[in-house]
Amino acid sequence: MHDESGRIEETRCLGENYYLLKVFAPQIAREAKPGNFVMLRVSPTWEPLLRRPFGILQSQPPHIWLYFQVKGRGTTLLKDRQAGDRLDILGPLGNAFPELPDQKILLIAGGRGIVPLFHYAKNYAARQPLLLLYGGRGAADLKLLAELDAMPLLEKYIFSEDGSCGEKGPLTEGLEKIVREQRPQATMACGPEAMLAALAGMLRAKKLDNYASLEAVMGCGFGVCHSCAVAAADGRYRKVCADGPVFPLEEIQWPI
Amino acid sequence: MADLSVDLGFCRLKNPLIPASGTFGYGEEFVPFMDLDIIGALVLKGIYRNARPGNPPPRLFETPAGLLNSIGLAGPGADELQGVIRRLSATTRTPIIVNVCGQDDAEFAEVAGIFAAMPEVAMLELNISCPNIKRGGACPAQDEKHTYRLVKRVKENIAKPLIVKLSPNAADIVAVARAAQEAGADALSLVNTFLGLAVDLEKRRPVFANTLAGLSGPAIKPLALRLVWEVCRQVRIPVIGMGGITSGKDVLEYILVGASAVQIGTVNFCEPAAAVRILAELEKEMEKLRLNNLNEIKGKLAV
Ligand SMILES: Cc1cc2nc3c(=O)[nH]c(=O)nc-3n(C[C@H](O)[C@H](O)[C@H](O)COP(=O)(O)OP(=O)(O)OC[C@H]3O[C@@H](n4cnc5c(N)ncnc54)[C@H](O)[C@@H]3O)c2cc1C
Ligand SMILES: Cc1cc2nc3c(=O)[nH]c(=O)nc-3n(C[C@H](O)[C@H](O)[C@H](O)COP(=O)(O)O)c2cc1C
Ligand code: FES
Repeated sequence: MHDESGRIEETRCLGENYYLLKVFAPQIAREAKPGNFVMLRVSPTWEPLLRRPFGILQSQPPHIWLYFQVKGRGTTLLKDRQAGDRLDILGPLGNAFPELPDQKILLIAGGRGIVPLFHYAKNYAARQPLLLLYGGRGAADLKLLAELDAMPLLEKYIFSEDGSCGEKGPLTEGLEKIVREQRPQATMACGPEAMLAALAGMLRAKKLDNYASLEAVMGCGFGVCHSCAVAAADGRYRKVCADGPVFPLEEIQWPI
Repeated sequence: MADLSVDLGFCRLKNPLIPASGTFGYGEEFVPFMDLDIIGALVLKGIYRNARPGNPPPRLFETPAGLLNSIGLAGPGADELQGVIRRLSATTRTPIIVNVCGQDDAEFAEVAGIFAAMPEVAMLELNISCPNIKRGGACPAQDEKHTYRLVKRVKENIAKPLIVKLSPNAADIVAVARAAQEAGADALSLVNTFLGLAVDLEKRRPVFANTLAGLSGPAIKPLALRLVWEVCRQVRIPVIGMGGITSGKDVLEYILVGASAVQIGTVNFCEPAAAVRILAELEKEMEKLRLNNLNEIKGKLAV
């Protein structure tokens, strides 16, 4: 874990409120694993006060790439930061998706939930069979398709709710068929809470290892503030930042 | 180089900077960011007799330059914390302060007794001011009679120095401060968080399950500074000031109005190595003001 003074090397708008950032952060880049996240100080002032959590899209030391959606104050400030700007960046934080060499794994990404799974695919697609199920509301939410095409994925399944890209409908509609035909041994998911809750229901009866990366309001990102609590199936709270963000899907009490 | 040490009467600290309870975990979480030996002392997250799950999420809400929290003191119980303290004291010589909590007076006294008996613990801070436990934010520090009774009971039971942490939500904080002093408090610390409310317009409901929450961060600094100033003028025992400190200048301001030392809270979340920066700034600032030691400015606000 490093509190690094990084530098923005490139910022690119990918249309409709999605941005790609290339950040010089050698210590973090060296240690980052798929599933880890960082906390960014989006402004050098105390407004907004808290850092913002973001997944790591890929890491090629000395750089990491972030991919974010503009939501509110923090991400609006972040999109306007320029190449050359200093960026305080804390990471890598949290746990990672497990490495399951030799296994056939289905990656399930909803919208910006692609971030940690992109990283996973980037690192491991060449050595093991990976499938990707990727969905969003429309083509605007599925901006990384070209980069994903360049990866040696076994198969890609694309869904959009408005039908503007891939099959029409929520990605959960494709799940049953893919699992039946491809027989993956594990699934790894990241996306909106409703999507993860639906997956938890659908995957419960299947004998797979299922993992999900969660989001939560984060005050610190390194386990001290207790703001990121999520209720687990055992009735106790877990800290998303320190116990996660990746959890066995069954460990969480759905819906959150 | 200026002398940064401060005198709390019952002990000297090498500098006035103390990370505040609930914002510094159990110390060990900050080892990746700083040498714990550089800070004056450190306060652990508040502790009850038994482990607590904490309040249901959401637990945080950001406000302009501030933070509302309703954590509800999630964490382990007193037995587990003793092991944590033994580990921590093996890694740092910085004095360890335990932030003692309780659902009722008996629990405060019991928890205080447990940690007062530990040689690794330098002093106790009695958290009679947490707004996130009872509905409506009620706490003993809102009432001078309750404060007197509780502090007396705890103090009779222990031989360790006792800091009493006050609430900015008391109708008359000076009266509460005096009551704590009369009951035997060795020092006071203030302020805990200000009661605040956040609402969700769409749901027409409070954001927090507990309705009210505690406000901290730069937003509260002028409010907290005023209360520290008022209390310092009216008590004899040392006062540890806090609320919104983010810089070396802020530290000096609190000392100018009469504080003997300060605590830094929310800034530890935004900047885990904040203490290191603030300490360096404090030295520079003292040089600029040609101060050889902090006593030269302590309580010297001319009004
Ligand atoms: C582990 C983790 C990884 C993430 N990775 C990415 C990513 O790779 N790309 C991306 O676009 N977004 C990601 N997010 C979500 C991102 O952090 C939020 O969209 C962002 O914080 C919103 O900030 P804002 O100031 O623009 O919005 P505001 O609405 O102004 O934020 C106000 C407050 O709410 C919090 N908040 C708002 N939405 C969320 C949310 N969905 N999750 C957690 N906190 C929230 C903010 O941190 C802030 O404290 C991730 C979140 C987590 C927890
Ligand atoms: C998330 C959070 C948790 C806190 N937990 C405690 C606690 O356990 N005990 C306590 O006495 N004060 C607690 N506080 C209050 C702080 O110690 C401090 O009094 C307050 O935040 C004001 O200082 P600041 O503005 O520098 O944060 C907590 C504050 C925050 C933000
Ligand atoms: S974000 Fe602070 S404990 Fe998880």
